[in-house]
Amino acid sequence: MTADGATPTLYDISTGMAMSLMQEIAERLGILAEGGEPHAIDLLGIPMSKRDRDELEAMLGRGEVEVTLDVAGASRLWETQYSGVWWIRHFGEGERVASERIEIVPVPEILSAHRLDMAAAARRLSDELAQANEPIPQEESAHV
Amino acid sequence: MSLLDFARGPALEYAFAIFLFGILWRIASLFLLPRAKDRSVPRPGAPAAAVSAARGFVRHMWLRPPYGQSTVFALVNGYIFHVGLAIIVFGFGPHILFINGLTGLSWPNLPSGVISVVSVVTLAALAAALVRRLTSPVLRLLSGFNDYMSWLVTTAPVLTGLLAVSHLGAKYETLLAVHILSIAVFLIWFPFGKLFHAFLVFVTRSQTGAFYGRRGVQI
Amino acid sequence: MSEQETIGELLVKRGISRRALLKYAGYLASVMALPPTSSTAMAQALANARRQSVIWLSFQECTGCTESLTRSFSPTIEDMIFDLISLDYHETLQAVSGYAAEEARMQAMKENKGKYVVVVDGSVSTKDGGVYSANAGKTNLETLQETAKDALALISVGTCAAFGGIPHAKPNPTGAVPVSDIITDKPIINIPGCPPIAEAIAGTVAYLVTFGKIPELDHLGRPKAFFGDTIHDRCYRRPFYDKGLFAKSFDDEGARNGWCLYEVGCKGPVTYNACATLKWNGGVSFPIQSGHGCLGCSEPDFWDRGGFYKPLSSWTGGNAAIIGGAAAAGAVVGAASALLARRRKASASGEKGS
Ligand code: SF4
Repeated sequence: MTADGATPTLYDISTGMAMSLMQEIAERLGILAEGGEPHAIDLLGIPMSKRDRDELEAMLGRGEVEVTLDVAGASRLWETQYSGVWWIRHFGEGERVASERIEIVPVPEILSAHRLDMAAAARRLSDELAQANEPIPQEESAHV
Repeated sequence: MSLLDFARGPALEYAFAIFLFGILWRIASLFLLPRAKDRSVPRPGAPAAAVSAARGFVRHMWLRPPYGQSTVFALVNGYIFHVGLAIIVFGFGPHILFINGLTGLSWPNLPSGVISVVSVVTLAALAAALVRRLTSPVLRLLSGFNDYMSWLVTTAPVLTGLLAVSHLGAKYETLLAVHILSIAVFLIWFPFGKLFHAFLVFVTRSQTGAFYGRRGVQI
Repeated sequence: MSEQETIGELLVKRGISRRALLKYAGYLASVMALPPTSSTAMAQALANARRQSVIWLSFQECTGCTESLTRSFSPTIEDMIFDLISLDYHETLQAVSGYAAEEARMQAMKENKGKYVVVVDGSVSTKDGGVYSANAGKTNLETLQETAKDALALISVGTCAAFGGIPHAKPNPTGAVPVSDIITDKPIINIPGCPPIAEAIAGTVAYLVTFGKIPELDHLGRPKAFFGDTIHDRCYRRPFYDKGLFAKSFDDEGARNGWCLYEVGCKGPVTYNACATLKWNGGVSFPIQSGHGCLGCSEPDFWDRGGFYKPLSSWTGGNAAIIGGAAAAGAVVGAASALLARRRKASASGEKGS
């Protein structure tokens, strides 16, 4: 969010939203640990000031995993200091945050490869191997 | 045309036209009426008519002791909602804008929070006035359609305005439209009903003051 | 054109992974305020869906709406909408022209009979048989009726198509009307705005593809996900409004302090749109953040509501003839009645005297 110098107070105030989200996360993490359903919280849909967001990020901290995705724009994911609590930030056009969410899940789904993608990759790989095993033609062929 | 467009446009325009028509009609017909000369002999030491008029007006602003405490409530309550109405009408930013659009005059506004508090108090006072009118047997006997109508068209704008500002009950555009329409009704009723006392109070009380100043005993 | 291929298969072919779809679904859920956990199911639904055939008709318009949708500079998440639809006809964007273009429209209509979506930007001229706006030898009116006949649904993009917009403004020389005045037997989604927010256009189309149904609409046919709140409801200057701190002009102390713009004509309180949350130009700003009041461009007749700089609480009339006439008439009637009373009195005293 662009802090528009003229209205600092509105971006700076802490509304206590971070703390109430922490409560929700704690409750949901407990459920997940006992074999319950995963959960997700859409941060863009919650009225939070810049300060609230920073507070929440600081409270959750950083854990062991950090991933950068390069798919339809950039994304950054990290596991927070609490196992199973992930921060997922997708960037849209021009570095802006297009969507931002907390996922309470063992592994965010977006990290695992999809069956169809794997099937396509397997096909491509075997094609490439088949091509590599073919006798090399006279001229140098560009690798496609 | 949406309800709001109708309210802001034609409704206000015609209501205001009727308001002006009524005011000028009543004032002109009253002031151009022939007045009988007071042929009585003024009591000795009687002040000029203008002075007694002003004095009479001021004196009528509070109870004379003989009336006792019986009507203190009505008086204080009356003051509360009259002053309250004045604060709301002349102190709220959007109202000043409205007046500015009509007359070009402008002045600083009061904080919206103050207006809200005043509105609630005013509303309570207006409600109390109605309750008193309905519960006092004498007052009830004296009250007619004109009184209730005047109460209604005064109270409605305060209530609808409060709802509009606090976005309660319906969408803002609907609340604002209803508020403006309630003002239109107020404007239309004003010259023809008892609300016209807002003008006449100055005339009647001064007249009475001048009359008593000239005749009778010194008080 | 529209094959039997699903979006999932198409993406695989293009080398776009399922992650992109998942990301898009998450973005969509966020933009449309759907439960965040629904994004997996949405991605699955999208993958199984076929690309939606879209025929885009441009009538009395300025192309701002198309600009809004295609304004992206780099391939990003927002652009994925173009993978979900098969834009079979768009006068501004298509490469073909003339007879071939019209042929493409006819073919799309035939192949996807009852399944294609018609997007309209611009109002429809109806005066004198609609001759004021025509294309390929046909009036817009005819083209619309012909194309809408076998459509699944229509989407009116922009205030012109949704409510008549600027061509409809007084005195409306071309008899411009919104699409909904002409087509009455098909579902119509209105996405007004001048121009509408790209996310609102794309989000609505994506919703249609994902769920195969029309999103929840308000009384003016606008998707509630984007038009459910007023600008004022979500405005960051709202605390100043509540406190009664207003800018009185565009260069005073209040304006510099970022106070509420109500008094300089902001229509935010009666305007339903998502500018305050989604913002413009990739989230950079929106009019109020840039210091100008909301014009109310996503509301019907915004052009004729008494002036952009007139505060909402002020009246829009001002016909001096009506007001002055009424005042004069009042004075005359009053004077006449007084005169009558005088005359009556005079005649009464005259009788007494004789
Ligand atoms: S600037 Fe406009 S939308 Fe924002 S609070 Fe003021 S009136 Fe409401």
